[in-house]
Amino acid sequence: MEVKIENSKAQMRKGVLELCVLSIIGNEEAYPSDIINKLKSSKLIVVEGTLYPLLNRLKDSALLEYQWKESKVGPPRKYYKMTSMGQDFLEGLRETWNELNTAVSAAQSLESVATGTNLDVIDVIKVNV
Amino acid sequence: MNKTFNINLGGYPFSIDEDAYNYIQEYLHTIRNHFSTSESCDEILLDIEVRMAELFQEHLKGRMIISMKEIDEVIAVMGKPEDFGAEAMGEHKSYYSKRQRKAIPINTGKRLFRDPDDKKLAGVCSGISAYLGIHDPVWVRLFFLALIFGAGVGPIMYLAIWFMVPEAVTASDKLSMRGEPSTVENIAKVVEEEISGLGDKINKWTKDFSKKKKSKSKGYY
Repeated sequence: MEVKIENSKAQMRKGVLELCVLSIIGNEEAYPSDIINKLKSSKLIVVEGTLYPLLNRLKDSALLEYQWKESKVGPPRKYYKMTSMGQDFLEGLRETWNELNTAVSAAQSLESVATGTNLDVIDVIKVNV
Repeated sequence: MNKTFNINLGGYPFSIDEDAYNYIQEYLHTIRNHFSTSESCDEILLDIEVRMAELFQEHLKGRMIISMKEIDEVIAVMGKPEDFGAEAMGEHKSYYSKRQRKAIPINTGKRLFRDPDDKKLAGVCSGISAYLGIHDPVWVRLFFLALIFGAGVGPIMYLAIWFMVPEAVTASDKLSMRGEPSTVENIAKVVEEEISGLGDKINKWTKDFSKKKKSKSKGYY
C-alpha cells in the first residue's frame, strides 16, 4: 500500500490517543465532551465520533468503567473512570512513550551529526522497541 | 413550507425538517455501517445518538424544529464520517434530490380490472382499454376478434383474462382501473356517475315500458 502522509499522520495520532485519553481521565470521572475539550486544549484535535468507539473499546477491555449521572440540561450522561487494570495499562503506555520519545529525539539529533556512526542509532532503537 | 418528521435520538423526541431528516438518516446509516464490525456497535450508536440529542437541545436554543443549520452545527462537533474513518456521504444537495426522486409516490398507477359498466360479454375488453387508456373499447374488441379468426388463440386468451382479472366492483376499484387516485372527491364522482347512470337506465326502462304499453294498447284496436 502506498505510503501517504495523511495516513502516516493518522497512524501516529491513533497510537498516542489511548495514552492521552487515559491520562486525561486520570484519577477523576470524565464525560466524553470534557475529554474532547481537554484534548483540544492540548492541541490534539479529535472529533467526538472518534472518541465514542475508543471509549467503548477501553470499557469492553475493562480498562474503563462508567456511571450514569442525571443531567439537568438533557439526557443522562456516562461518566468514565479508570479501573485499576486501566491504571496499570496507562503506566505501561507511559513507559513506552518515554522510551520512544528518547529514541526519536536521539534519532533526530543524530541527523545533524554528519559524522555520527550508524551503529549508535541501531543500538538506541534496539533497546527501546 | 416544509414537511416535518417526528424522530427520537437515543429516546429523546425531536421534530425535524424533511431534508434534515433525510440527511441525518443517511449520516446515522453510514456510521452504523462503519461500526457494524464491532461488537459494541449498538452501544456506540446509542452513545452517539444520545450525545447528538444533547447537542441538538443546546443548538436549538428554544426553537422547535431541527433544520439543516442545526445538523451542520452538530455534525461539526460529532465529526463527518470520513473524520473518523468511515466512508464519506454524498453532498447535501445531490443527496436531497436523489431522495426526493425516490420519495415521489406513484399514485397514478392503474390496475387491470374488468369493467362491469361497459361490457358486451364479461367486460374484458373494456377493462383492457381502460388500463391502456384507449377511450373506445371497440378497438380492443376488434383486436380480439381478429385474434380469434386469425390465430385461434383469441377465445382461450379471452377466457383466461375473464378468469384471472377481477371485476371492478367498488368505486375505488373503478378509479384504479382508470388510473385515478382513490381520493374522497373521486369516489364521490364515481358514485354520482353510477347514480346518474342508474337514473338513465330507469328513464330508459320507463320509456320502453310506456312504449310497450302503447303498442299493446294499440294492438287492441
